[in-house]
Amino acid sequence: MRRFGLWILVALLVVGALLSGITSLAQDEKVLVIGHAESTDSLDPARGYTQTSGFIFRAIYETLVTFPDADASSIEPMLAESWEVSDDGLTYTFKLREGAEFASGNPVTADDVVFSFNRLKNLQGSPAFLADNIASVEATDPQTVVVTLASPDPSFLSTLPNPAFQVTDSQVIKENGGTDAVDAATADTAEEFLNNNSVGSGPYQLEKWEPQVETVLVRNPNYQGDAPYFDRVIITNIPESATQKIALEAGDIDLALDLTADEIGGLEGNPDIQIVRGPANIIHFLLMNADPDVGGPMADPKVQLAVRYALDYDGYAALWGGVQPGSNLAVGIAGALGPDEAIKRDVEKAKQLLAEAGYPDGFEVTLDYPDFSFQGVNMNTNAQKIQADLAEVGITVTLNPGELQVALEEYRSGKEGFGYWFWGPDKLDPVDFLSFLPGGKVATERALWTPERAEQSLLDLIEQAKVETDQAARLDLYRQLQQYAQQTSTFAPFNQPDIQTALRADIQGYVWHPQWLLDVALLSRSE
Amino acid sequence: MPFHLYFLRRLLFVIPTLFGITFFAFLIANAVPADPINANLPQSALNDPEIIAAFRQKWGLDKPPHEQYLTYLGNLLQGDLGTSIKTRKPVADDIGRFLPATFELATFGIIFGILMGVGFGTISAVWRNSLADYLVRGFALIGVSFPVFLLALIGLQVLYAQLGLVAGPGRLGVRVSEPPVVTGWMTIDSILAGQWTTLGDALSHLILPSLILGSYVSGMIARVTRSSLLEVLGMDYIRTARSKGLSERVVIRRHGLSNALIPVVTVIGLSYGNLLSGAVLTESIFAWPGIGRYMFRASTSQDFPAIMGVSILIAAIYIGVNFFVDILYYFLDPRIRLA
Amino acid sequence: MTPVSDSRSARFNLGLRWLRRNVLVAVGAVVVAFWLVIAPLAPVIAPFNPLQQNVRERLQPPGEIHRFGTDELGRDMFSRVLYGARITIPAGIAVIVVGSSLGVIIGAVAGYVGGRWDEILMRIAELFMAFPTIILAMAITAALGPDIRNAILALVIVWWPTYARVTRGLVLEVKSKEYVEGARAVGAPGTYILFRTILPNCISTAIVVATLDIGSAILTFAGLSFLGLGPDPSSPEWGRMVSIGIDFFDQWWMWLYPGLAIASLVMAFNFIGDGLRDILDPRLRKR
Repeated sequence: MRRFGLWILVALLVVGALLSGITSLAQDEKVLVIGHAESTDSLDPARGYTQTSGFIFRAIYETLVTFPDADASSIEPMLAESWEVSDDGLTYTFKLREGAEFASGNPVTADDVVFSFNRLKNLQGSPAFLADNIASVEATDPQTVVVTLASPDPSFLSTLPNPAFQVTDSQVIKENGGTDAVDAATADTAEEFLNNNSVGSGPYQLEKWEPQVETVLVRNPNYQGDAPYFDRVIITNIPESATQKIALEAGDIDLALDLTADEIGGLEGNPDIQIVRGPANIIHFLLMNADPDVGGPMADPKVQLAVRYALDYDGYAALWGGVQPGSNLAVGIAGALGPDEAIKRDVEKAKQLLAEAGYPDGFEVTLDYPDFSFQGVNMNTNAQKIQADLAEVGITVTLNPGELQVALEEYRSGKEGFGYWFWGPDKLDPVDFLSFLPGGKVATERALWTPERAEQSLLDLIEQAKVETDQAARLDLYRQLQQYAQQTSTFAPFNQPDIQTALRADIQGYVWHPQWLLDVALLSRSE
Repeated sequence: MPFHLYFLRRLLFVIPTLFGITFFAFLIANAVPADPINANLPQSALNDPEIIAAFRQKWGLDKPPHEQYLTYLGNLLQGDLGTSIKTRKPVADDIGRFLPATFELATFGIIFGILMGVGFGTISAVWRNSLADYLVRGFALIGVSFPVFLLALIGLQVLYAQLGLVAGPGRLGVRVSEPPVVTGWMTIDSILAGQWTTLGDALSHLILPSLILGSYVSGMIARVTRSSLLEVLGMDYIRTARSKGLSERVVIRRHGLSNALIPVVTVIGLSYGNLLSGAVLTESIFAWPGIGRYMFRASTSQDFPAIMGVSILIAAIYIGVNFFVDILYYFLDPRIRLA
Repeated sequence: MTPVSDSRSARFNLGLRWLRRNVLVAVGAVVVAFWLVIAPLAPVIAPFNPLQQNVRERLQPPGEIHRFGTDELGRDMFSRVLYGARITIPAGIAVIVVGSSLGVIIGAVAGYVGGRWDEILMRIAELFMAFPTIILAMAITAALGPDIRNAILALVIVWWPTYARVTRGLVLEVKSKEYVEGARAVGAPGTYILFRTILPNCISTAIVVATLDIGSAILTFAGLSFLGLGPDPSSPEWGRMVSIGIDFFDQWWMWLYPGLAIASLVMAFNFIGDGLRDILDPRLRKR
């Protein structure tokens, strides 16, 4: 009995070890495997709005215009080959490129653009706000789309590369329960279909999405551009960064997107691994709800300022690298306040402000945040540091980590009194900062810092900034807004970490992109 | 007692317990202060009065609690466990998808557990009070004292990360093609499909977690095997067998072990429940897409339909295994037949 | 190869048996006593505040200042491990004390009153036993929210049935003993008989079972907090520390020391329990 058991064990170990070596050889398909902590909320183009869905969308859909491969320095044609802007800045006319086809074989027409934009707007999903300023979209002929804005928006073109504006196959979506009608929010039933199928014109198409397990992309046979190198791209969900690291070392995955700075350090000198580092544009920040019923003491602007003075900004930079942003506008975007202009830690000042607000002995508060690691930043670690920082000024913080999707819903519906989140810009333009000011998405809906709760002077300044077309004057207005927010705001941005990606040495063409993170179609393997 | 009578009697014990379990799961899910609609529907559905009305209707939410329970039971009997908030799929489908992975892991685990437990227990009993006995027992004691997650971490660190002897987390390497799903068991499916590399990869992924699970239960099995074997070896018929001049090995194998099996079978049945507990921790470390990981995700995301579904199912499995053990008894223990 | 051996090895074996029974119990007792002393004295012994962060000294390997190194926020691991005893030991004891008291009372009532009550109470106990501990505890913490009190509550709910079962068996046995019959004959009231004669007889057994059990209660508690269903992430709880350490594979001191702390405590309880079992084996086996 005993010996028998031992033999089985030995035999299994040997066979297993041998075969696991063999398996990696037997592949004629070109496969790319990405290890990633999946955050996908939906793969419906009008609903999904997370970093994971962003780079998946980049592979399977196309937008009217786009950015260069590595940065956001200019606007380039994609589905639209040319465009014109009217003098009043309200009307944009796009000429579509001939010959573009969806994966289904249907041609990409102006009607598809109209359908996609209207569906985005009417579905009222997470990215719908991006289309708020669109008054109408019309197809004047099969190759021409006219977009009319409600008010002039100098940042409109740089918003269009956002995956939210991807063009989808209207025919196939309609066949599967989709609609772009005004009542789309309740009438549209295509999400289930779109979570498992893609209807785009990009280099890849979605083969399957098994939530929390993997997302598989395969080539789109009808793609009109240069065929991508890899036949198949597997994005496998590995929430634990340590596991991503071992899997990368073992060669099980080609790219690890979420390693921490510490883990990256451990990979240095490994000849099989290359490391790509650089500044990124994700901002980690605290949200303090302006509604006293939700935020409690945190609703007090003096307390909010005290929190900004209490944080040990250098400490966060020591943990993750990167910089302390001067506001919720990512450093790197024109007009953003840099680290040298940022608020500095001042514990005494924070205590004094708390006393002025009527909390000389501090108070107790619960911090809500997702139990999640994003691009190598472990939010649990930061939350513990926030807890310790605030303890120094007398605020007792109870940590309440939540599962990502659950926490997201609380956050998005404005139910969090004190929350910790991260933000990647929707628009690579100073206008992105408006999201964090009254009337903007995050401030109004999530922090309940509504225009009614804001000072008139601030609202006037916002209106001015929105319509100013002279670039220098515009940037100056945005600087004033950011300086205002350093003193009065429901947010405490504390760190903008660097991006760091580790990949197998034989992978070529990797670039980090500020909008879509990663374009898998650019990658190849050296042979 | 004839077999059918015994069978019926055991079955009569099982049914009320099963009802009790459903009732208990129902209680837990309803003890939540939250509104059941909030707890059971995704946020996006909350704006839609039609979906809410349909949900109320289906689960009888307008009715008093006891009728709600009956409605719940009715849906349950039709195999409807509700829809998971997290995966947005019917809980029954999810369970169908994740359960085979856990079964495969648990089965390999219990096989290792039995091999190690019975093996060590036998060594311990045969060379009672020898150094080997103490080593084995000490080893077993130390083994059950280590948290499963620590063993898993050390195992992963040494066997996978450092030595590369076994595969890492997951059920199958990402690059390995999955066999067509027939049973949901990676090993069986890959054999059926003749995909030998897949089989090798699946085994390589199975070894470490199932060894750890096995060691988790082997301590208890070893202990029971030892004491039960000691008892049997002291009995008259063994002495008779010995005095007939049979070799010690034959005596132990033919007469000793087979008779000592009865309590061992019981403890294996009991271990199965422990195994499923251990599976939750093991699955979460090994990223094993099984029911334990599903339950973990459900419990952190307050996915009550899924929590209830899994709890009921696992309890039912546990009861089923014990029922099966009782039935086995009938054949193993002559006293029941004679009673 | 036969178990029958010459006198020298017999003496050797006898010696081993003595060692095993006494030394293991002694070792167990010493280790448990060690942790029992550490728990209240941690604030005095620990060189640092376990919550004191210092990011500039993060992830330091064990050395002179930080004997067990520092964690990802620069907290002193040695102090954290010491303070961990203040969470885990009370939690384990609370689970066992509350769980066993509840179980003993319910079991005693069931066994003493008998009849329908016995049937109902034991059915309920069986029901709870049908759920694997962690699964049930997860369901309960999901309903109540994750924190240390709820984790303990969940474990108590999972734990009492075993004691109820054992106690009921003992009560049934004791009930038929002469002195109980005697007490009944002289007209002592039911509660008096139950609490004065029957329960004291059961408690010693319950204590033995509890010693055997406390190790697994501690393990389950650590497992729950490993999964994030226990105390706050920053609290120096051993299971939680190991789960944070997973992200720091290379910094082995972050997961190994708290892991060993759990193992040593559980092992010590198991040593004591195993020794006690040997001594009381015939009695325990009857159930």
